[in-house]
Amino acid sequence: MTIRIDRRHFLMGSSALIAAGAAGISPAFAQAERLRMLFWGGQARADRTYAVTDLYQAAKGTDVEGEFLAWNDYWPKLATQTAGGNAPDIIQMDYRYIVEYAQRNAIAPLDEFVGGALKLDDFDADQLEGGKVDGSLYGISLGANSVALMVNTTAFEEAGVAAPTRDLTYDEIMAMGEAFNSANVRGGMKVIMDGSGSEPMLDNWLRQKGLALYTADGKLGFDADAMTEWFQLWSQMREAGVCVSAEDQALDTGPHETTMLVLGKAAMMPSNSNQLVGFQAVMQDDITISSYPRLAAGVGGGHYRKPSMFFSVAGSSANKEAAAEFLSFFVNDPEAAAVLGVERGIPCSAAVRDAIAPTLSEQDQIALNFVANLGDLLGPLPPSPPAAAGEIDISLLRTLSQEVGFGARSPEDAGPYFVTEATAILNRA
Amino acid sequence: MSDVPAKLTVVTGKGSPGRSRLTSLLIHLGLLAASVVMLYPLLWLLAASFRPENEIFTSASILPSVWSIDSYIRGWNGLRTSFGVFFTNSFIISGLSVIGNVMACSMAAYAFARLDFRFKNFWFAMMLLTLMLPYQVTLIPQYVLFRQLGWVNTFLPLVVPKFLAADGFFIFLMVQFFRGLPKELDEAAQMDGCSPWRIYWKIIIPLSMPVLATAAIFTFIWTWDDFFGPLIYLSEMKSYTVMLGLRTFTDSTGESDYGGLFAMSVLSLVPIFLFFLFFQRLLIEGIATTGMKR
Amino acid sequence: MTARSLQSGAPARERAATPSTWSRIWQNDAPGYLFLLPWLIGFIGLTVGPMVTSLYLSFTDFDLLTSPDWVGADNYIRMFTNDAKFWTSMRVTMFFVIFSVPLKLAFALAVAMLLNRGIRGLPLYRALFYLPSLLGASVAIAILWRQIFAGDGLVNKLLLLVGIEGPSWISNPQYSLWTLIVLSIWQFGSPMIIFLAGLRQIPTDMYEAASLDGASKWRQFVKITLPLLTPVVFFNAIIQTIEAFKSFTPAFIISGGTGNPINSTLFYTLYLYQEAFAFFRMGYASALAWVLLAVVGVFTAFSFFTSKYWVHYDE
Repeated sequence: MTIRIDRRHFLMGSSALIAAGAAGISPAFAQAERLRMLFWGGQARADRTYAVTDLYQAAKGTDVEGEFLAWNDYWPKLATQTAGGNAPDIIQMDYRYIVEYAQRNAIAPLDEFVGGALKLDDFDADQLEGGKVDGSLYGISLGANSVALMVNTTAFEEAGVAAPTRDLTYDEIMAMGEAFNSANVRGGMKVIMDGSGSEPMLDNWLRQKGLALYTADGKLGFDADAMTEWFQLWSQMREAGVCVSAEDQALDTGPHETTMLVLGKAAMMPSNSNQLVGFQAVMQDDITISSYPRLAAGVGGGHYRKPSMFFSVAGSSANKEAAAEFLSFFVNDPEAAAVLGVERGIPCSAAVRDAIAPTLSEQDQIALNFVANLGDLLGPLPPSPPAAAGEIDISLLRTLSQEVGFGARSPEDAGPYFVTEATAILNRA
Repeated sequence: MSDVPAKLTVVTGKGSPGRSRLTSLLIHLGLLAASVVMLYPLLWLLAASFRPENEIFTSASILPSVWSIDSYIRGWNGLRTSFGVFFTNSFIISGLSVIGNVMACSMAAYAFARLDFRFKNFWFAMMLLTLMLPYQVTLIPQYVLFRQLGWVNTFLPLVVPKFLAADGFFIFLMVQFFRGLPKELDEAAQMDGCSPWRIYWKIIIPLSMPVLATAAIFTFIWTWDDFFGPLIYLSEMKSYTVMLGLRTFTDSTGESDYGGLFAMSVLSLVPIFLFFLFFQRLLIEGIATTGMKR
Repeated sequence: MTARSLQSGAPARERAATPSTWSRIWQNDAPGYLFLLPWLIGFIGLTVGPMVTSLYLSFTDFDLLTSPDWVGADNYIRMFTNDAKFWTSMRVTMFFVIFSVPLKLAFALAVAMLLNRGIRGLPLYRALFYLPSLLGASVAIAILWRQIFAGDGLVNKLLLLVGIEGPSWISNPQYSLWTLIVLSIWQFGSPMIIFLAGLRQIPTDMYEAASLDGASKWRQFVKITLPLLTPVVFFNAIIQTIEAFKSFTPAFIISGGTGNPINSTLFYTLYLYQEAFAFFRMGYASALAWVLLAVVGVFTAFSFFTSKYWVHYDE
């Protein structure tokens, strides 16, 4: 008997669901002329971006349908849509992947629209250059940022150590580290995280030596000796207890909440200027940004103004010109700029920068000033990394730095090994 | 044991009343201790959802310093589309999936378990084979296929496969249970001239409530929790599911809303937990309670 | 209804000869195919195509963005001769399968047996024990696991009480895989529910009869519960093994998709995912997938072969 009643309940429930489903199962997607846009980011970015698409619709009447995803979800979805011949018209693109997508015609060169639909008269030259692959413009930089150290100033106060300035050197970090250890901040907080597996930090260090991560023709820009020296530098810091232990560092898997800074295990960590806001939101201590350490006093040129991200237009898009027009609006329109702020990085048009400067929050001001005043720290823009750069970073540099950290490999062994393996990956791709 | 409803009773041997009370107490203590281990994550999640944002990862205490429901309000309306829409979408997809899966899989399972036909073993092997290939490599061909069908951006790619018994897990599960039912029942019914359809509907299905409930529970929960399918096939926020909505709260490259994430995570557990509670009642209605007293 | 004796649970290995009612061949086939129809349509219409495509792609160089180039068996040759990460990920996965599956199943069965007794608050306990499985792939799990297994985590705080200073389990390459095995066991809800459903299908009168005959509980377990439960045990063993081989989510959320520290949690499918979507080598990833299918297929076929000797169906 019970069964019978239950089944009737079950069926009643299901017919209700079918009725609900019939209404919702295939929403009407028929629409007028419109552009599809895909970007990665969080809610804050989405709010600003949608505000701009609303402005654009009001001004030009073109509907830009935006969809946003988290970084990790973004790339599989974009790859699937592109492979399935269904790529969105406007694609947010990263420095790391732009060569990959450009060389395979998944994104379109925009040179033909420059001066017409796409107005870039006022655009910073280095940011324009950053969006080029093999001489053609494939991405419009949405903002510049720079690598920067996140600095927990509260922890520095507790340690009784002066917070780092733009003249900080690697040697001074050693001294700071010892001061931190003797002050025993919060049961053993270190002055800095283990940066040996950080590609931007390695890049910055190499550039100060006059080397580069990659050459313009996509080869490795340094030799085994340089790599060995890099690993030795960090092994020294690890052994002296200046940076965090390998075990602690391995807790960092990428998201903010796993970083040594947020976990309270280190007072400094390498990051980017535009992430100050994001880190401050999840921390109770006060944080600020400073430059990456120098090799020695007076040595600079490691930093550069990196395009934080681009907008590109899909190679398969049927509305390339309309998309270019939207991009032009996005980076030039003063109203749009006021909405966007510096959330994607420092705007690349001088007029826009001046217009928004007074409206910024304290943290945004810090970031803007930092990027605008790099001075002697600033070096030339490096060439776009080869397509295999991501693989070398993820599956070689990070793993190898852990092997050295845990003592599975000596720095002297890891240097040559890195060069051999990286060359193999570059040749394979 | 007298306080236990009769239909739950499984005879557990004949200890003295005192000893059985002690045993029962020990079992409860053990179960309670284990429950704490199981509950801890949920308590943490619950606490995190009421915390101020900057305390979530930096506070050592399990209890928030101030209780605030800001995260819930912000989270519910924070994305451009209200979470109510996501919940509705998830309900539609999961609900339809349950119906489709239970119907289609039980039919296929009945064929495999009880009927004889040519190439049965071959088809069964094929069905198992579909379980073994990692979905990551069929994703793109499948996307292309659904795109050609014009199904991208609708719920169809997520729901139709369920009506076509695409998840071999459930077929295999039901096969194992159907084969455990006494075969004399079918044979007797066959003697009486019952068609396979009647046997399936009147004998197999009513006797299989535990496994059907199991399948319903798993289908609902797994569909609810699935994000890769919705991620690939749904492109407009108004058709997002809850899981997809949750994943847009955090982004490792910029600002994240962890408070909103945890608050909505808590809410997202409520329907699947209720579904579980409701359907698990059917789990206990095994052969012993369906009038099959022998 | 026909009475069933205790012995009917015992093995009946011989398949019944052709059923008597439907004697003609076409009558014999039609009902089966009719019931199988939805699955057949789905299989042929939705599943086979993508599977065959992925098999084809495994013989190509396919970067997702341009059309695939035929490279013959190159992907397979490279995998076995020139890819250390392939072997690393295979070893990690094997280790995971060997330890997580039996432990998880034993745990699930033990708890299911415990919960199958007539105790108060049964539905509540069942729900509580299923809770971890409800959480699925939530970010909360990654955070939680760090709080438990990090150097200053819960486990080490407990160990410190007895004077042991533990390592950071989750981020030490020697132990990190074990924390994922523990995670897998902790989410034992689904095999538990399936065991419970199986136990519920065992007629209570069989126990009544046995206990009237004075059989001990252990004897009842060995003589009644286990034999009648073998189809479910078999199912859980096969499915959990396949799932463990394909296990992706735990490593993905805990290691942030990297498989670190030092590739100690580089599950096979995680490596496959990296190759496919991070490094744009879908052809190679497809080859990896088909090698996994072969490995799991051999294992499953072997299990089915041996099942004749220990799985008891009522036929």
